Amino acid sequence: MKHGPVAARPRVGVVKFASCDGCQLTLLDLEDELLSVVEHFDIIDFPEATSARSPGPYDILFVEGSVSEPAHLERIVELRRRSRFLVTIGACATAGGIQALRNWGDHDAFRASVYANPEFIHSLATSTPIAEHVPVDAELRGCPIDPDQLVELLTALNTGRRPQLRDEAVCMECKRRGVVCVMVSGGIPCLGQVTQTGCGAICPRFGRGCYGCFGPRERANAAGLSRHLQLAGDRPREEVGRLFAGFTAYSEPFRSMVTELGGARQAGRESGVEAAPTGGSDARH
Amino acid sequence: MVMASPARGPRARPEGPAFLGRADLQALLDLLREDGRTLIGPTLDAGAIVYDEITGVEDLPRGWADEQGPGRYRIHDRQDDRLFGYVVGPTSWKKWTFPSLVPLTSATRDGHKVGFEPVPLDPPRLAFLGVRACELAALGVQDRVLTAGPFVDPDYAARRANVLVVAVQCTTAATTCFCTSMGTGPEVESGHDLALTELDGGFLVDAGSPAGRAILERLPLRPATAVEQYGAAATVAAVRAGIGDPVPAAGLHDRLLAQLDSPRWLEIAERCILCGNCTLACPTCFCTSTTQATDLSGTTAMMSRTWDSCFSPGFAKVAGGSFRSRHRDRYRQWLTHKFATWWDQFGESGCTGCGRCVTWCPVGIDVREELNAIAPARPPAAETALVEPAAPSPTEFVTAHVTGTKAETGDTVTLTLESDHPALGRGGPGQFAMVELPGFPPLPISISRYLPGGLELTIRGAGAATRALGKLQAKDEIGLRGPLGSSWPLDRAIGRDLVIVTGGIGLAPLRPLIQAIIAERRRYGDVRLYYGARTPADLLYRGELERWKSASIEVALTVDRAGPEWLGPVGVVTNLFDQATWDGSGMVAFVCGPERMMQATVSTLAGRGIPASRIYVTLERHMECGIGLCGHCQMGKYFICRDGPVFSMAQLGDIFGREGI
Repeated sequence: MKHGPVAARPRVGVVKFASCDGCQLTLLDLEDELLSVVEHFDIIDFPEATSARSPGPYDILFVEGSVSEPAHLERIVELRRRSRFLVTIGACATAGGIQALRNWGDHDAFRASVYANPEFIHSLATSTPIAEHVPVDAELRGCPIDPDQLVELLTALNTGRRPQLRDEAVCMECKRRGVVCVMVSGGIPCLGQVTQTGCGAICPRFGRGCYGCFGPRERANAAGLSRHLQLAGDRPREEVGRLFAGFTAYSEPFRSMVTELGGARQAGRESGVEAAPTGGSDARH
Repeated sequence: MVMASPARGPRARPEGPAFLGRADLQALLDLLREDGRTLIGPTLDAGAIVYDEITGVEDLPRGWADEQGPGRYRIHDRQDDRLFGYVVGPTSWKKWTFPSLVPLTSATRDGHKVGFEPVPLDPPRLAFLGVRACELAALGVQDRVLTAGPFVDPDYAARRANVLVVAVQCTTAATTCFCTSMGTGPEVESGHDLALTELDGGFLVDAGSPAGRAILERLPLRPATAVEQYGAAATVAAVRAGIGDPVPAAGLHDRLLAQLDSPRWLEIAERCILCGNCTLACPTCFCTSTTQATDLSGTTAMMSRTWDSCFSPGFAKVAGGSFRSRHRDRYRQWLTHKFATWWDQFGESGCTGCGRCVTWCPVGIDVREELNAIAPARPPAAETALVEPAAPSPTEFVTAHVTGTKAETGDTVTLTLESDHPALGRGGPGQFAMVELPGFPPLPISISRYLPGGLELTIRGAGAATRALGKLQAKDEIGLRGPLGSSWPLDRAIGRDLVIVTGGIGLAPLRPLIQAIIAERRRYGDVRLYYGARTPADLLYRGELERWKSASIEVALTVDRAGPEWLGPVGVVTNLFDQATWDGSGMVAFVCGPERMMQATVSTLAGRGIPASRIYVTLERHMECGIGLCGHCQMGKYFICRDGPVFSMAQLGDIFGREGI
């Protein structure tokens, strides 16, 4: 993180790659803070909000989505060149997204089974996070990102301090909020222990297990959790592997768990697509 | 006597423990609310018994129990109407005394100027209902950390001062409980304003503070019957017995700190997810971080304190990296702080044995198992302490010479003896030596102290041989064989409270026991010595008694006949403790004295709940060989010299005290 305010009234762009646009919309959903944001930031490029476009240069560029098409490869390099401060937002941009499950499959077989004329589909064999292609200055995790974290990042950028984005387990947030552990009290498998906080423990608060959309936390002991779920929880390998095969499956160490336990194959089979075992990811390793 | 409607205004409080009918519990809750207190108590939420705001008895988890194991918690229907029939849940009371998020200061920055405005303290008036013994202990631990000084946490202090504590005795335990090992429960003993014990028809009620007594006076109570009192005590005693002693705590501080390089830390690191659940579920963990919430312009900031954990990545971070970046470092930090360095910082353990870290570890790491694996309890002292005796054969003696004599009383002398034979200085407490002064029959004398290269014998001149020994002077020589016989099984007392009862010369064989306890005082709980003598002038080791007191041994003395100078109790030694408040069910007793005195003592101690297997006596019989060959000292199936002289009452059974055996 660079220090000092980025600019007096930073010029901000919001762009997307392979994604659903939900993370960008979080910026529009800020409601109470929106006027203040516009006051402090000059939003020059944001197709979801305005048809006025600008090619930059940007003081701050928010990038949503993963690199998924051949054209993306050049575009992200060009955008990086025009940005002083590049922030990736959401699971797609930071981890490759749910679409990265194809990294374990047979790309051509996928295309053939989904599209009548697959020759017109220009996609890469893999979906990869932005940081695999260009340097990234900050990232906001999640599917979608958390509005409070977005405000915190904007505030930090505006005042020139380090954003307080805690790199700790979701469990910490559960305990602070008095949420009863769903794994201990209900036997529900939960990735909260290995997942970075920031969501406010929203899933456990509603009685379901964390599915890891904020991605692995610092030194996540995914192997330890996986062993426990298999041994103590008496769950088959592939079921445990599938837990990791979610929105951030392509981030290590979740990626190794998916590869080792065959979680992506299981997920593919359930969605009706017969994917090859784990061949597709080898090119990336 | 039973008053059905809630009482109002002062009323005469029954003497002794009182009984509150089940239907009248609401009256207690109403009183607390009338006093302007918000009630926090157990209630069912999301498949668990949590603590939360409650208004009435109908909010309590009637008929629910919890079932806990490492990484596992479930509730089930008890099939009865108990309100407190569970153990402890995920919540701890620190949620109110030490909340997870506390606003501290609002700060402003305007040009060159900065301003700080502390957030005013406004603690709510609360009443905690259903606080268990381990939780009371935890509140005490946080009190020591946060308010004992030199610096005080004002927010905690203010919140804590506004809490009234209604404790509940445990009538059931979880498999994760280990309060017994940590010395915090299951009995509620202090720190409460009121204590309830739930019985079938209602509650035994006790006050623990003036505030509690004031409430009692306003409640519809009747005196508790003997059956109710006995039932309440027996239930809690059964909980203690059920828990056992899962983590022998004596010496744990040293044992753990000696294992900083244990390979087990690496092995745990493979299982531990570093999620921090154990620390935030723990009722004593107090680590926090400060966060700043600023507005977009950065001109105002609210600084708040939030729960943090030594397992968190940023916890030990400085520019350049984290001091505890490795998994193993973080688990070791937590475990050694809780069970070892907490002692050094705060004079007690940071663990109260509530078991939350065991239950709420998502991957079921059991701190008890880890402690026992990393820092196993020392091997039993009794098995290792016994040395090969010098000159076991009755045909041989080791020569020892007198280096000092001390007149203890008019007829009792302590001889200090030196010998080249190393065994004589290294026996176990309670063992004896055969002493031979040529011309006199060999005598079995208890060893009253071990010294490097020697020992002490305390001898009462009761016959010709003992009187002759009492007249020995420095440089005189005698023959010795020993140490012989069994010793006081001090290993059985590790981590437990001890009671030592003795009369007259009986203190002599207990003296090395007391010295061994003092040498490793931390290995044992409370130690009480009850000692009776015929007259004040007959008390042995009078100077040492004071030193024992300063080593945290409670010493109580009594005499049969007092002189004008005696201000203490007069009477038999059992009078010293038959009115005491301790419960013996977890204790170990060591008894030595005349056999009639021991019979009365054993019977009183058994009545206090000490099991026969943990009451030890030492017996005196005619001995000549000291090694089980001459037949004089036979008692039933035992030779006292070889199988004893120390026996447990479980060993002796009904031959103890039987006439003519």
